Amino acid sequence: MDKGKKRRREDEEIEAVDSDANHSLSLEQNLSFSDTLVALRMMRAQFPHIDKVSIQPFILQSQLYSSVKDRTQVDRELESLRRDKVVRVFKLNTGQDDHGIMFLDDYLKQVEHVVKRMEEKKQCDLQVFKWFKVHVIESKLEPCIGHQELYALLSLGGRMKDEHISLLINSGFLTHQLIDPSMYWFAIPNIGSILKGLSQGRKELLSLLNRRRYKKMMLAPLEKKHLRLSPLDMRFHLRDLIGSGHIKTVHTPTGIVVRVSKD
Amino acid sequence: MWKEIGDREMGKIRPNSFSSWIKSNRISNLQLSNNKDIVSPHRGSINSLQVDLTEGRYLLSGASDASAAVYDVQRATNYEGNGLIAKHKCLFSVDKQHGKGHKYAISSAIWYPVDTGLFVTGSYDHYIKVWDTNTTQVVMNFKMPGKVYRTAMSPLATSHMLIAAGTEDVQVRLCDIASGAFAHTLSGHRDGVMTVEWSTSSEWVLITGGCDGAIRFWDIRRAGCFLVLDQSQSQLGRRPPVLARSAANKVSVSKSLSAGQNSLGKPRAPQKKYANGHGMKQLTIGRMPAKSSARQRLHPGMLSIQDRATAHYGAVTGLKVTDDGMYLLSAGSDSRIKLWDLESGYNTLVNFEMVRLQTSKAIQLAISQETAQVFVPCMTVVKAFDIWSGKMSLAFRGHYESVNCCWFSSQDQELYTGGNDRQILVWSPCEPMTDDTDTAHTKDQDNWSD
Repeated sequence: MDKGKKRRREDEEIEAVDSDANHSLSLEQNLSFSDTLVALRMMRAQFPHIDKVSIQPFILQSQLYSSVKDRTQVDRELESLRRDKVVRVFKLNTGQDDHGIMFLDDYLKQVEHVVKRMEEKKQCDLQVFKWFKVHVIESKLEPCIGHQELYALLSLGGRMKDEHISLLINSGFLTHQLIDPSMYWFAIPNIGSILKGLSQGRKELLSLLNRRRYKKMMLAPLEKKHLRLSPLDMRFHLRDLIGSGHIKTVHTPTGIVVRVSKD
Repeated sequence: MWKEIGDREMGKIRPNSFSSWIKSNRISNLQLSNNKDIVSPHRGSINSLQVDLTEGRYLLSGASDASAAVYDVQRATNYEGNGLIAKHKCLFSVDKQHGKGHKYAISSAIWYPVDTGLFVTGSYDHYIKVWDTNTTQVVMNFKMPGKVYRTAMSPLATSHMLIAAGTEDVQVRLCDIASGAFAHTLSGHRDGVMTVEWSTSSEWVLITGGCDGAIRFWDIRRAGCFLVLDQSQSQLGRRPPVLARSAANKVSVSKSLSAGQNSLGKPRAPQKKYANGHGMKQLTIGRMPAKSSARQRLHPGMLSIQDRATAHYGAVTGLKVTDDGMYLLSAGSDSRIKLWDLESGYNTLVNFEMVRLQTSKAIQLAISQETAQVFVPCMTVVKAFDIWSGKMSLAFRGHYESVNCCWFSSQDQELYTGGNDRQILVWSPCEPMTDDTDTAHTKDQDNWSD
């Protein structure tokens, strides 16, 4: 009967994506979902609104692990969604194994937005972004791409020069890999400040719990607290840390208790 | 228990399933042994453990204080605690005091797979030594170009006695015990090689994992590796589904086509930057002349050097092949464990929940074949995961510091773990402690009453 309530809620929320009703739902009631796609949609709807930076909603892979019980199922469903071009997976530079997931439509919207902003600043030679969108994003589904392949795919659009690749890197579409200089990671443009906020917010939340005497806290009051250093809200960080194993939840008769994991 | 024995007698249960049922029961209640203790003479952290493959009786350990010791795990040397606790002291140990012993930490100690007359140790002092067990003398000495991280000998080998050595040098070397010289070297890795394992299905196939995150498969009879595992190529499930095989083939065909196109492209200036490892130098030299001859310069077996696929985002710190030779488990310093299907070469996307794995040293994984579980040392805990679902089933907490190595003896269903706290702990199925002496007395008294 709990699942029935959740499903009805999910259905009405998928229709009303921008409604403010999302924010009033507590994490306690919708901590876990049955399916990866459902979880992705719900978390996309619950993405916090950030004032200074315009960014489309993205979901961290660790958040998926915290919501769906079987991790192998999450990995496999994510893989098939990626192959069907519903979502795109990006490797983030905030930690060991952080992956960000964005719906493909959102990513294309983000690309459009950044390109439009660059047009307004009257920067030259924006055709490389069009080639990028048409040739590279459509055909290369993995989070990384080699230099040769990138060059070959972009050349399908027109005459390629080295400056074009530097332009892509400077505007945030690609980043160099640290280990291998000839490989690039795909990146979400305009996300830099948010990633910084992400790592700072994680540290702040963990220190908040560590400062407590018994290193645990009830979930309901914890969720209402506000993080100073991160533009993302508490719910986002909680899901992320639960999924990556730094925090554990314990079901008690009075509610869910969140504690720092010892292992 | 008796019902199952009766069923086996009647033929309702097959003998194999009966024995695997008993084994899985015993494994599910593994805990720190309360009647067996291994007394370790080591003064440094224990880096390698192995029980011999022929009898399953002698445990060989190698430690950071350049000492290696052998214990008999089936017969205790003495008993304590009123005969209840069996203490296993080492039968002998070789350390720095030994004239020809190692000078620095021993990173890997393995038995000769055919019998326990020889064992091989590899150490950070750049040497691999072959020892005679009975006389504890060094029989053979191989000098390596760098610190030896891991040595391995094939348990299936009937026509060769090669020791595969992974060192901090990019090349994997094969040392031959029969001749005392190096057989050949395998190039292809772009950084040191941390783990080496022989395949359990073929005596010619060697699997190596490097600090560059790549896992390569080598057939030692020819040059170059024949497979590089790529973590982006994955299949959904234990084996690839029959229909999807054609889709997977299309993907691999298009990849090789684009690779062909790229090698015929113009030589690019940025390429000269990455000339690390021997293979890459060959590549840049070959690109100077005209496009068509660029591919001719590179030996066809060495084309795998161009393949820069990685299996892990960090270094590969542990490898283990299942006994049937069909799957490979790899642990990386990105704190992930991946299960690879060796038939197709794809990642099966099984997610093993990990928080942290130690990143600086190699770790030794152990697999229990009957119950399909893998034992993984995660910092101070050894966790047992189910191979197919990735769920954690058991956690063994007992070490005071990080655990480096573990070995599972499927004969006795015992797990031996060694760590930085210089202890070798034994985890065995718990058995109820019986007070035999008292009941015997009372029984005797009753029987003797007139």
